[in-house]
Amino acid sequence: MLTLSENDKQFLERKALAARKNVLRMIKAGQAGHVGGALSIIDAVTALYFKIMKVDPQNPQDPDRDRFILSAGHKCLALYSVLAEAGFFNKDILDTYGSINSKLPGHPDMHKIPGVESNTGALGHGLSIGVGMALGLAMEKHSDSPKVYVAMGDGELAEGSNWEAAAAASHHKLDNLMVLADRNGLQISGNTVDVMSYEPLADRWAAFGWNVRTIQGHDMNTLVETITSMPFEKGKPSCVILDTVKAKGLSFAEDNVSYHYWKVTPEEMEMAEKDLAAIEERLA
Amino acid sequence: MTDLRDPRKTFGEALVDVGEKNDRVVALSADSSSGSGMKPFHQRFPERHFEFGIMEQGIAGISAGMASTGKIPFFVAIAPFVTSRPFEMVRNDLGYMQQNVKVVGRCGGMTYADLGPTHQSLEDVAIMRTIPGFTVVNPGCPVEIIKATHAITDHVGPVYMKLGGPKMPVLFDEDYDFQLGKGVTMQDGKDVTLVGTGTVLSKAHAATGILEKQGISVRLINIHTIKPLDKELLVKAARETKAIVTVEEHYIAGGMGSAIAETLAEACPVRMKMIGVNDQFASNGPYEELLELYGLQPEQIAETVRAFLD
Repeated sequence: MLTLSENDKQFLERKALAARKNVLRMIKAGQAGHVGGALSIIDAVTALYFKIMKVDPQNPQDPDRDRFILSAGHKCLALYSVLAEAGFFNKDILDTYGSINSKLPGHPDMHKIPGVESNTGALGHGLSIGVGMALGLAMEKHSDSPKVYVAMGDGELAEGSNWEAAAAASHHKLDNLMVLADRNGLQISGNTVDVMSYEPLADRWAAFGWNVRTIQGHDMNTLVETITSMPFEKGKPSCVILDTVKAKGLSFAEDNVSYHYWKVTPEEMEMAEKDLAAIEERLA
Repeated sequence: MTDLRDPRKTFGEALVDVGEKNDRVVALSADSSSGSGMKPFHQRFPERHFEFGIMEQGIAGISAGMASTGKIPFFVAIAPFVTSRPFEMVRNDLGYMQQNVKVVGRCGGMTYADLGPTHQSLEDVAIMRTIPGFTVVNPGCPVEIIKATHAITDHVGPVYMKLGGPKMPVLFDEDYDFQLGKGVTMQDGKDVTLVGTGTVLSKAHAATGILEKQGISVRLINIHTIKPLDKELLVKAARETKAIVTVEEHYIAGGMGSAIAETLAEACPVRMKMIGVNDQFASNGPYEELLELYGLQPEQIAETVRAFLD
């Protein structure tokens, strides 16, 4: 388990702010995007790439790297913004979001931009792919096996294929695998529990043989301490349920399902920029 | 005496061979290992054989993840359960992600004759060949299964290989030169080209013999690789014989015949007749009788060719 110093915590919070600015930059370029879920998972993604994962932006195909899969691929703004901030590609590419043949499609494509590990977007795929990666990496018998992190949306958990993969992960004792379940509570039609109830979520994962912890998903200390405690139990995959706020950081959009997909207006962009400026002031 | 061999056993032995040559080869089972001929691989390489139970959607994604770490997964089960059931996973995770996975559908076509349409696969070639970057292989004899298993292991990229279930006659020598994407002219002829593939290549071969005795000169082509298709060989056959008849244990819609028609319609349009199963779920009963129900026995194929030429 890794505990953050105050400096490290502030460093991560500034990186998360920079990533949120990158999200706005892409939205500005493309005039629309799945902003809600991107901003609920973006703090966890920031913590992973800037403090937790063993990755090298200069050598993105290093076979010994840790892997991150964004199973809910529509949240790609979070991934692109963090990858750009970490130096996997030039930030100018962010300005191509939404344009023809952009390297940053509305769902990530591993063959278009460095750092993306899998092509997601169709829901219910990422965990199976992650199980395969974890299994393949575990076969190499590293002293320190690379780890695989899969971020999933809570709405996505209704897909049956996830539970095939969840069973396979515990059956094959993949303790190099972690799920980050982004429980922001909303999906496109409304409250996730009203659309298709998944509660009790922690018990479901536990019943499938996972060791589960539930944390607040926007606090850097908690994120880093919890994720670096992997495996929570030797011989078992780990699941972290992240209690998050959809569109976190944009005051007018937080916890509002209308911002699952945001078709931006100039007024809203102005408000969004003010919100991020306020965060910046607080962090200064 | 015809040399008949079990396709699953043949594939399983070939898998052990490629496993000996290449330690990156792994076998993924959906409660289907012994039924797919993989027991010898399991015994020889227990640490490279993974059982998942009945979860084909999961295994499709898992195979992609393993391939991304450098393994060469063979995902093998009854044909509809590795194709139509997990199709979106195969399309996205193997096709779109360009992962080096070998999907093997065994007991394809109407092998599970009496179990009916749930276990038959008459659309697998049609759907798999729509996936960009996929290679689709349909070996027509046991020797070809062995050669194809080696070839698809060496080939980098996703592959679908379709296998039958009933024992198949040996049509090629052991030193036969098999190349992915290259059709094989098994017999030259000038009146008509008969193109066979997979489980019914032997039926087309027998039909050729019948037609020759009746004075019809038949060019017999084996298309073991349906994608990429050997355009050059087929255009030459179309140009020289001016009539093409295709034979496959598959729906007429979307199968090898369709693939050939798509190619020849642009490159060299000639008269064509496609023999296969028409737009219906196949019936149930003994396998050879089912083939007969859909006109796939040698005498029937010969009769269809004669009627087509008249």
